[in-house]
Amino acid sequence: MAIKVRIPTPLQKLTNGKAEVACAAGTVAELVDALEKDYPGMKERLTEGGKVRRFINIYVNEEDIRFLSREETALKDGDAISIVPAIAGGR
Amino acid sequence: MVRSGVSSIALAIRKNDLKKIIDHCNAGYPDEACGILAGKDGRVERVYCMRNARPGPASYEMDPEEQFRAMKDIRQAGLELLGTFHSHPGGHACPSGIDVERAYWPGTLFPNYPGAVYVIVSLIDRRDPVVKGYLIDSGTVSEVGLKVLDQDLP
Repeated sequence: MAIKVRIPTPLQKLTNGKAEVACAAGTVAELVDALEKDYPGMKERLTEGGKVRRFINIYVNEEDIRFLSREETALKDGDAISIVPAIAGGR
Repeated sequence: MVRSGVSSIALAIRKNDLKKIIDHCNAGYPDEACGILAGKDGRVERVYCMRNARPGPASYEMDPEEQFRAMKDIRQAGLELLGTFHSHPGGHACPSGIDVERAYWPGTLFPNYPGAVYVIVSLIDRRDPVVKGYLIDSGTVSEVGLKVLDQDLP
């Protein structure tokens, strides 16, 4: 078993069009590194200075990592991760 | 209410759904309000009124957990995210610089939701809101047509 990651459309250019990929990682930070290894460019898209970018939301089994332990949120086999761009704006 | 000089129709919305959008925007006044439009083949079938997690007269950000649940609901219903809506309580019905910036993945010109119509409701005149739709893609903003359907039409 591995961790399933749902990839949003704007990042599917990096995953050769795949909407879902699998990888192994113990934390969200490790997941970002694992994705970078398989799909170069992913780390820069997802993080800035080691933190998940503002206006990018990451969910572990439907829970926002900001309400868990952010980048240090622990992952286990079978977890489902979603990467979702925020819908936001202003003047 | 819906004003557009554009002939191509990108989104068809039932009259009662349009009312739901405008009511939600009025309820949020003087802050911006926001939501998601889901459906099929350019026809809106569900309006999700969302909580503005960063409320202000010139600011909105959908509550991330509500957004996640709505998007899951849309997938499970076999529908698509056709667009989003938000209000400009004191501004015109056109996208702001920040609206455009946030439509793209940070640091790129890849639209976050390709093909999604950004519906904007101007509440400058609250008795006569102006509603317009836009596509924001590849560095350009273009107005698209909105069509209001009578509720009983198929």
